[in-house]
Amino acid sequence: MQGNAQQVIVGTEGDDLMRRIGQLTRMLRQSMRELGLNKEIEKAAAAIPDARDRLNYVARMTEQAAERSLNAIDRAQPLQEQLGREAEALDAKWRAWFEHPLGLDEARDLVNVTRGYLRNVPVVTQKINAELLEIMMAQDFQDLTGQVIKKMMDVIHEVERQLFQVLLDSVPEGREREDMRQRLEGRWQPGVVEEDGTLTNGPQINGDADGVVSSQDQVDALLDELGF
Amino acid sequence: MIDKSMNVLVVDDFPTMRRIVRSLLKELGFNNVDEAEDGQDALGKLRAGSFQFVISDWNMPNLDGLEMLKQVRADGCLGATPVLMITAEAKKDNIIAAAKAGANGYIVKPFTAATLEEKIGKIFEKLAK
Repeated sequence: MQGNAQQVIVGTEGDDLMRRIGQLTRMLRQSMRELGLNKEIEKAAAAIPDARDRLNYVARMTEQAAERSLNAIDRAQPLQEQLGREAEALDAKWRAWFEHPLGLDEARDLVNVTRGYLRNVPVVTQKINAELLEIMMAQDFQDLTGQVIKKMMDVIHEVERQLFQVLLDSVPEGREREDMRQRLEGRWQPGVVEEDGTLTNGPQINGDADGVVSSQDQVDALLDELGF
Repeated sequence: MIDKSMNVLVVDDFPTMRRIVRSLLKELGFNNVDEAEDGQDALGKLRAGSFQFVISDWNMPNLDGLEMLKQVRADGCLGATPVLMITAEAKKDNIIAAAKAGANGYIVKPFTAATLEEKIGKIFEKLAK
């Protein structure tokens, strides 16, 4: 591609362009160093692995939730199918009985089997309800991933802001900078960046980190320690 | 015996979580449940109504759970209302701060129905003493 560019830009025009680009690049590097902006870019780049970790967390949570729900459904379906089948089988026996009434012994058997079924229904429906509750609880991922995504948007916003600033500062004071500022601000909506509260961090992505608890048991242990 | 007809206020900025807690409370027999979407909203409802129990998240806009808890404890009328935190905030500093501010219990997300039942039981057991 460089070959083509060189073919298009011929002669003194090409030299001028190259020289201008070289000058701008030098100026940019110098400004960045003077303003400490290379540090800002470093920080912005460092935020990217953090964003990646957060995305991983979101993917993990949603996958776990889906699996939990699907497993609960797998357990619940046979239970309720069984209830339906047994009811149909019993109904068939009662229909047969009405067509050809049975002797007392057989009638008593039929009644007992039916009563057995009726007593079993609440047992099975309770199991099914437990699976439904499990599916409901599995939806808690939405809250946790939502918080992480919010946090990530803050991080991205901050990175955007840093880069925006670098871009602006690289242009000399004056009309050109004003023009660029307006163009960029037109495309970029400055929002409210939440201050980094030390107590409002959202879900911990790494349960093993220092000063972090990773289970209810640990919470209880800490509260016991403190005498609460 | 816990009076399960008590009015419970569930505070969380995520509607899904409010819904989950409400369903769990229903399973446990608590049917008088109202919701608030942040600490500010919650304080308004607490001061206007009569609630015997608050279950609250921490990280919320406008007024977070810790601040709300502190204001509840500082309020002459609301001061003794039992408050259970259910939150994703899982640093030791969080737990210590909540305990110091007067939270009656602390559940970390994700949590189970059994944990909620146990902690509610414990809170009212302690209060009955």
